Amino acid sequence: MNHVELSFKLNGQDISIQILPNTLLVDLLRDRLGLTGTKTGCRQGECGVCTVLLDGDPVNSCLLPAVKVAGRSVTTIEGLATEDGRLDIIQERFISEGAVQCGFCTPGMIMNAKALLDREASPSETDIKKAISGVLCRCTGYRKIVQAVKSASEAKE
Amino acid sequence: MKEKTDKKKKVKILTKEKVDLQQLFKVPSMGLAVAGQSVARTDARQKVMGTLKFGADYAQEKFLHGKILRSPHPHALIKSINTEKAKSMPGVMAVLTAEDVPGRNGFGAIIPDQPVICSDKVRFVGDGVALVAAETEQIAQQALERIEVEYEILPAIFDPRDAIKEDAPKIHDKGNLLSYNKLRKGDVSKGFAEADTILKRTYQVPFLDHAYLEPDMCMAIPQPDGTMLVEGPMQAPFTTRRNVNAVLGVPINKVRVRQVPMGGGFGGKEDSPIDLGARAAVLAWHTGKPVRLALEREEVMLQTCKRHPMIMEIRIGAKKDGTLLAFEGVIYDEQGAYASLGPIIPPAGGSHIHAMIMMAGPYEIPNVKVDAYLCYTNNPYGGAMRGFGAPQVHIAHEQLIDELAEELGMNPIDIRRKNGLKQGSATATGQVLDQSVGLIDTLDACAKAFNWDEKYRQTGYIDKARSKRRGVGIGMGWYRTSIGINADGCGANVHVHEDGSVLLFSGITEMGQGSFTVLPQICAEELGVRLEDIRYVVPDTDIVPESGPTVGSRSTTLMGNAIILAARQVKESILAAASEMLDVPADRLVAKDRLIYDTENSVNSVTFKDAALKCMQTGRRLIGQGWWTPPKPSLDPETGQGNPYFVYTFSTHMAEVIVDVETGEVDITDFVAAFDIGRAINPRLIEGQIEGGVAMGLGYALMENVVVDQGYIQNKSLRNYLIPTSLDVPDTRSIILEVENKYGPYGAKGIGEMPNIPATPAVLNAIANACGGRVRSLPADPEGVFRAIREAGGPPDK
Amino acid sequence: MSYAFKDYQWSKDIAIKEYLLPRSLAEAFEILAKYNGKAQVIAGGTDVIPRLRHRDLEVEALVDITHLPDMSGIREEADKIVIGGLTTHRQIAASPLIREKAGILADGAGCLGSPQIRNIATVAGNLVSGHPAADTSTPLLALNASVTITSQEGERVIPLTEFFLDKGKTALDCRREILTQIRFAALKKNQGSSHLRLSKRRSLTVAVLIFAAVVEVDHTQNMIKAAQIALGPVAPIPLRATKTEAALRGAPINNETIERAAESVCRESNPIADPVWGSAEYKEEIIKVFTKRGLKKALKQAGTPVE
Repeated sequence: MNHVELSFKLNGQDISIQILPNTLLVDLLRDRLGLTGTKTGCRQGECGVCTVLLDGDPVNSCLLPAVKVAGRSVTTIEGLATEDGRLDIIQERFISEGAVQCGFCTPGMIMNAKALLDREASPSETDIKKAISGVLCRCTGYRKIVQAVKSASEAKE
Repeated sequence: MKEKTDKKKKVKILTKEKVDLQQLFKVPSMGLAVAGQSVARTDARQKVMGTLKFGADYAQEKFLHGKILRSPHPHALIKSINTEKAKSMPGVMAVLTAEDVPGRNGFGAIIPDQPVICSDKVRFVGDGVALVAAETEQIAQQALERIEVEYEILPAIFDPRDAIKEDAPKIHDKGNLLSYNKLRKGDVSKGFAEADTILKRTYQVPFLDHAYLEPDMCMAIPQPDGTMLVEGPMQAPFTTRRNVNAVLGVPINKVRVRQVPMGGGFGGKEDSPIDLGARAAVLAWHTGKPVRLALEREEVMLQTCKRHPMIMEIRIGAKKDGTLLAFEGVIYDEQGAYASLGPIIPPAGGSHIHAMIMMAGPYEIPNVKVDAYLCYTNNPYGGAMRGFGAPQVHIAHEQLIDELAEELGMNPIDIRRKNGLKQGSATATGQVLDQSVGLIDTLDACAKAFNWDEKYRQTGYIDKARSKRRGVGIGMGWYRTSIGINADGCGANVHVHEDGSVLLFSGITEMGQGSFTVLPQICAEELGVRLEDIRYVVPDTDIVPESGPTVGSRSTTLMGNAIILAARQVKESILAAASEMLDVPADRLVAKDRLIYDTENSVNSVTFKDAALKCMQTGRRLIGQGWWTPPKPSLDPETGQGNPYFVYTFSTHMAEVIVDVETGEVDITDFVAAFDIGRAINPRLIEGQIEGGVAMGLGYALMENVVVDQGYIQNKSLRNYLIPTSLDVPDTRSIILEVENKYGPYGAKGIGEMPNIPATPAVLNAIANACGGRVRSLPADPEGVFRAIREAGGPPDK
Repeated sequence: MSYAFKDYQWSKDIAIKEYLLPRSLAEAFEILAKYNGKAQVIAGGTDVIPRLRHRDLEVEALVDITHLPDMSGIREEADKIVIGGLTTHRQIAASPLIREKAGILADGAGCLGSPQIRNIATVAGNLVSGHPAADTSTPLLALNASVTITSQEGERVIPLTEFFLDKGKTALDCRREILTQIRFAALKKNQGSSHLRLSKRRSLTVAVLIFAAVVEVDHTQNMIKAAQIALGPVAPIPLRATKTEAALRGAPINNETIERAAESVCRESNPIADPVWGSAEYKEEIIKVFTKRGLKKALKQAGTPVE
């Protein structure tokens, strides 16, 4: 198999890297680029813990051949906090509302929430539940996650 | 406490000669400063940033990749196995069969009856037949395909009742009945004879999977000093260690096991790390290199333990005023292929005996008889899953109580209030509950918040088309704190440093429940410092004292107590030093918020760290060790009578549902859950446990089912093993009550498992109340509810 | 009963050797021709990638068509709605045009998988999967849609009723052809529609039953002029209940007609039992319930509710 050159924007930085064509985006991020914040839970697009933003839209990176993101912009959980460690408001509220338990679904949840709040200034609780309906959580029962996203949306106004 | 006076300084020194448990963990009179607060989790920041490393996030370059060749048959002899082709592949570093296991070829949390690598036969689809380690995961996978195994298929068993028949093929040499246990209280035949009403029903529950979002994995790294380090997500480092050392054939002190924070555990990661740890260790042993054994989701579904399926045949007898007189139950508890966490470690360890103990429910019943059979089958095996036998029996007794209430024309809340356990009640094991019994308090609090009386009156159709009906239901429950075995001890070490920073050593693991926050809260509270002054050291068997596993809702209580004892040992030194510095007797000093001050003159104070520095400078011990064991449990093997657990948590849940009577679809429109947990060390974390546990309980009621057909799991992925999504869970309201446990830190008792237990029958009872259809064989998915309505002859008319 | 090797041993890999992104249809067909059956088309990938991982599909190369021009967009052409072959489920669900003129398609597309899946999965890909429970197949069948299949040899347009051949098999050969367009007539004033879905949970799940109907009525005579009734999964392919549709032509709008239609649709269906998703008997009952509810809802929307 020949390597191919992949160039894309990752968390605001341009990157260029040689990859094998059968590389999936989630593995490129985790194994090659050391960005292990994006998780794998099922490798079938059924659990959402691998969610990243592709041009601002949440997608399951376990289903995305990496070559697909050529020329596009990818945002992972690592791209949310600023370089000096200031957290995104969603991250802050996840902490203060108790929306984190084991933390495995947390990046996936936050990325879906981020896409929602970037689109929608005052989402209802139903909007929020729908926005995170593609990420499974076994620990929290979702309630505090919804409250955290609501709280973040209210803070942003 | 005995008092001594130092002749020189006239300072009172407290010495403990006899510990009065009742006084030991009481809340200090000035109240709690750190414990009891809803502080943010200590690991939350790393988790929201994605920087906390789970096991699979560890760098992989130095590791070989391990894979397991599995049996495709539920029961078969291994006639031959040929690994030559696999071994000769470039990049393959080891292909191991049974004779390559250096020590004991068996592992298991209670009985080591599961082969590391099967030698003569396989007992379930997924049983390990060979192990491979290779340079890449792809090569390891290809090597598996080149291993040639010849099987001779044996007749297999898939029903626990078949397993104990005379002529049943033997799955294990010693027979298929792994355990028979019985409980005899009073005289049930007399009780039934006096009953005005007797009901007999059978309830059946299937295999369930934990479905934690983090798939299992384990790493084994041979150390330069010849020891083996096993590292990964796990709930029970010490149990893992005592299996790995036996499998490697080395003394316990030559194996080191270290926990990585888990992406969920729920009991499943109590024994899967033993499986993966033993196998990775054997591969690492042979290759001399670090080995990483990681499961894909489908492999997690296939080979890791499940919640035990049960068939429960129960009979209840009552007077017409609802007084319960007799309860008789037979449990066919399906263990599956291997023992895992099913069987008993006397007096009460193992999910099977726990189910037996809990079978009659949180009710005062004078005559109880239970016969419980734990049977091997050639299905996937049962282990620990949040509740450890209790969820299943609650589904049975809570539904039966409701059916009895209906028969007697009683409101379900009244029959429970009448018979529910109170202070001074005797349980089915004859245990007299002398403290911390908040069951009826939870019933009342729940009813009030839920508005039970009004909602109970509003059952019926809600639309003109008469397709949807509303109903309400109660689930009342109890759950132990601790494992109920004699070896249920917990040790903690506390090290204070001269700058006031503290190291806390405990073997309790973090799976999301918040132990890494709550236990430091208790430590900080006891020492009188701030939460951020405590660093909780990674649970590493080389470093932390024996703690027992993180299971059985025991961590906050047992480890909390051990931490208090350890902290007190250090505090003695700190207070002694402060006493000298302030010239005040130590018993007048109080430590709070990094200060030690004189209660009679609060401006007279020194900082905690100055007192610590003084200790260091004067050679006073700044290390404390605590060891705590619960009051000794007891359970007579002939009668099932005794005190298996020293305290119970109590809970009542109420659900309101709307059932589409034409399709069987269920919508949960309101849910309230009340808990007596003794003391909330971190109320917001407790709420998180409640909301998450209720969601899990709802999944059991409505959608979860590992479908096994002739030993083959039909749904091995999250695509078709369904757990609730954000759109499936109601807005659960939680109520926390504190009925102090005198044996717990500041009165606390366990929470972890309780929330998912009464939720399931609350929903099932609500469904039955709504549409007349009672689902006795779970799940109550749309088809299940539809059939139940049909069986009942259609929905009620009103 | 047994598993194939691939059913109890999994890897994380997808075994392809090339992943190509042509910039024109011509280039795409050239690549496919070169691979001569050893390469296939991929759009969103939410179907193809899991199949590759499970080794249900074996190809050497994937030809990603998401950069092809002139294949996106939803537009109105006279009385027709035209959907480009790269339109995603999310675009359909969010389109005001579709919501207004073909609401059942927006409903169906909005049920697929999860938000993340809907963001990249194309409706064309959903059709091409050939799955009888595909979420857009049923509403598009009810809308009498047709699809344009393009290949190196040119274009052909076939009605969706002739597109599905067997479970997982359609008239499109994804190793040589691309579905470039979907079109159907927008709903008229005297038409009503409905879409019903039964599933075991509310997100991330395949349907146990999907029902979609479009009815055309005559208000003055209070009768049904025409009906399209589609269901899945009740047969190897998404089904049109053509016998029932024929019987409904000219039928009076009343409960008796509805009841008879429900029995008829059930007779035309042939659901099979599935160990996970449920029994055939239950599905038959729900077919009847959904037919009644669905027809009533569509008739109400058309302005001729059943009294």
